[in-house]
Amino acid sequence: MDFFVSLFGRWERVWAHRHLLGIRPLTREDILLVLERAAHWREFLEASPKFENILSGYSMVCLFFEPSTRTRMSFEMAGKLLGMNVLNFSLEGSSLEKGESFRDTVRTIARMKADVLVVRHRDSGVPEYLASFLPCHVVNAGDGMREHPTQALLDLLAIRRTLGRIEGLRVAILGDILHSRVARSLALALMKLGNSVVFSGPPTLVPESVLALGAERVFPVEQAVEGADVVYLLRIQRERQEAGYFPSLQEYTRFFGLGERLLTRMKEGAFIMHPGPVNRGVEIEHRFVEHESSLIEEQVTCGVAVRMAVLEILLRGEKTS
Amino acid sequence: MTRRILIRRGTLVLPDRRMLVDGDVLIEGRVIARVGRGISDPQAQSIDASGLLVGPGFVNLHVHFREPGQERKETLETGARAAARGGFTTVLCMPNTSPPLDHPLVVQALRLRARALPFTNILFAGAISRGCQGKEMCDYGLLKEAGVVALSDDGASVDSSRLLYFALQYARYFHLPFILHEEDSELSREGHMHEGEVAFLLGYRGIPRVAEDSRLARDVLLALDTGARVHFTHLSTERSVTILRLFRGQAPLSADVTPHHLLLTVEDIPRFGSLAKVKPPLREKRDIEALKAGIADGTIDILASDHAPHAPEDKEGSFLDAAFGISNLEITVPLYVKALVEDGVVDWIELWRKLSYNPARFLGLENKGVLAEGKDADLTIVDPQTEWEVDVAQFESKGRNCPFQGWSLRGWPVYTIVGGRVVMAERSVVDGEFC
Repeated sequence: MDFFVSLFGRWERVWAHRHLLGIRPLTREDILLVLERAAHWREFLEASPKFENILSGYSMVCLFFEPSTRTRMSFEMAGKLLGMNVLNFSLEGSSLEKGESFRDTVRTIARMKADVLVVRHRDSGVPEYLASFLPCHVVNAGDGMREHPTQALLDLLAIRRTLGRIEGLRVAILGDILHSRVARSLALALMKLGNSVVFSGPPTLVPESVLALGAERVFPVEQAVEGADVVYLLRIQRERQEAGYFPSLQEYTRFFGLGERLLTRMKEGAFIMHPGPVNRGVEIEHRFVEHESSLIEEQVTCGVAVRMAVLEILLRGEKTS
Repeated sequence: MTRRILIRRGTLVLPDRRMLVDGDVLIEGRVIARVGRGISDPQAQSIDASGLLVGPGFVNLHVHFREPGQERKETLETGARAAARGGFTTVLCMPNTSPPLDHPLVVQALRLRARALPFTNILFAGAISRGCQGKEMCDYGLLKEAGVVALSDDGASVDSSRLLYFALQYARYFHLPFILHEEDSELSREGHMHEGEVAFLLGYRGIPRVAEDSRLARDVLLALDTGARVHFTHLSTERSVTILRLFRGQAPLSADVTPHHLLLTVEDIPRFGSLAKVKPPLREKRDIEALKAGIADGTIDILASDHAPHAPEDKEGSFLDAAFGISNLEITVPLYVKALVEDGVVDWIELWRKLSYNPARFLGLENKGVLAEGKDADLTIVDPQTEWEVDVAQFESKGRNCPFQGWSLRGWPVYTIVGGRVVMAERSVVDGEFC
């Protein structure tokens, strides 16, 4: 505990956020602080059994209006490992289904005196909306097509742990950039730390407007992965085919998926990442999921560590400021 | 031993340089070895081209060879022979076959068959939508790997703006250009000829100009927005030309016409009956004038055929039941000479450019459309003077559905050389081991 007390002074100086709504509001220092604490928790996770209770007495509600397994469980795991009371809101059978308004539902939950509300919603901006009137800390666990900050932070942690640094790297993000909150948050975070980001994929899913993020847009994918330290694949959703963005999964795999053809164009020692859940055999060939250069499983573990760090910083850092 | 052909004392047409020069051409194997004056080669097979025009072979962006599925109308072989006779050394087959060219396996099978035919280079356009149904994109990457060089739903227009919007964006990844047939099917439904007085008097429902104009306008805007390479085929209306002229400088747009839309009008329908039933429909004099003006000023930069052969039974019986289409591949060039050169719309150089250089550029065929050393030995030799009558009985094409029977025309191709082989000599297809 002494260790944390000694850190409070620093947090006060660098962490000025009541919520984690996105990567966009964060500074480079904010991100580095989360990574620093997350690195600590990442080591902690190697121990078994794990005892820590610095957040005991705090409660967290996971409010997921969209299906999620890994993100919700990851938050739940993170909270519980730090001694928090964790509640999961389930849409099915909820008062929302009985006709209660969204605003009233979240107000009711907040009135139960939750300290942290972790929210995922299909509409961009819902975390901001909640933060505007709820007394608790709001953590964005994915809002529509806009941001997924903890995913970006865990990706940074996984990269730094593996490559030893998180600046001056080149990261190629491939696939459905248009609909991806992961791509938006990750690109923003990478660029804030001085990395370069290149987007590629089917032009319908990598429209010119992606340039708004300040990343490059390079076609074809073979050219985009050249010189990249990390090749980050996004999950391709069948709905995008039904909506007409690309013709078939077969063609997607052939031209935009990670297989031998793309691997030969990647530089020696480049790593493969994916936010999950993976469509094996679609955006990534089966054997590359567990390939030696794949960080996909490491990303999952880093997810817990990053969420521990976020909860810690929000609750402990704020206390002293 | 390398096969050599020496074409002597011709008037050489150099469409890329917009020049006519007197000279000789020596072909060695599959390439043009020399272009110049006073070339001699006693071992070479010699063609006396005095009084004839010698230029790069014609490239036709729009033919229907009906394979697979409608072999009673045409086959790759009969179509290829017709192309040789018509002076076309490269043709692009439209994908509205049965099944359509919407799957790589169909394309691969056809390409294998096409490769065995020496008469012309047969290229294929893949379908824009599965089954040409206008609902879902085809696998353009896989089609490109199978060998398609362009995309089209010809025979129909893409009704769904969303599909075309995505297709234009998506196909850019694979560098595939589009060839669009412009027809709003809602407006053309049940129409059998140009909408207007003639249709009214004859008692047929019409296909209004705006069916083409409005669809073309939409697609010009989609092309501008997506930056896709878009070519509009068989323009038939005055406003199509106006719209295209307006936007042509702003995007890589191009267009073609057919010879029948320059030579016939809706007034000719009573005379020719279902032989003149075609899509888009034959329009009016003012449309012809507008098309010619577009050709003259370069708005329309490519001349094609829309060779649409049919079996006799498809054109017999009532006008309403007759199929749309005209078989014209063997007479396309003399028809254009009549419509454009004799009418003073363009000169021979410009005509040749729109028949070879421009379409070759559109398809990205770097070694075609140019008469120069090192280029493919695809050449056409044309007799600009002698008049012959159109005789559909002599067509190599199975399609005899041609309203130009008996027309007396000048400017016939008299030799066609494909890949260094003479495939047509003196207006007859050369079979077997001729040279």
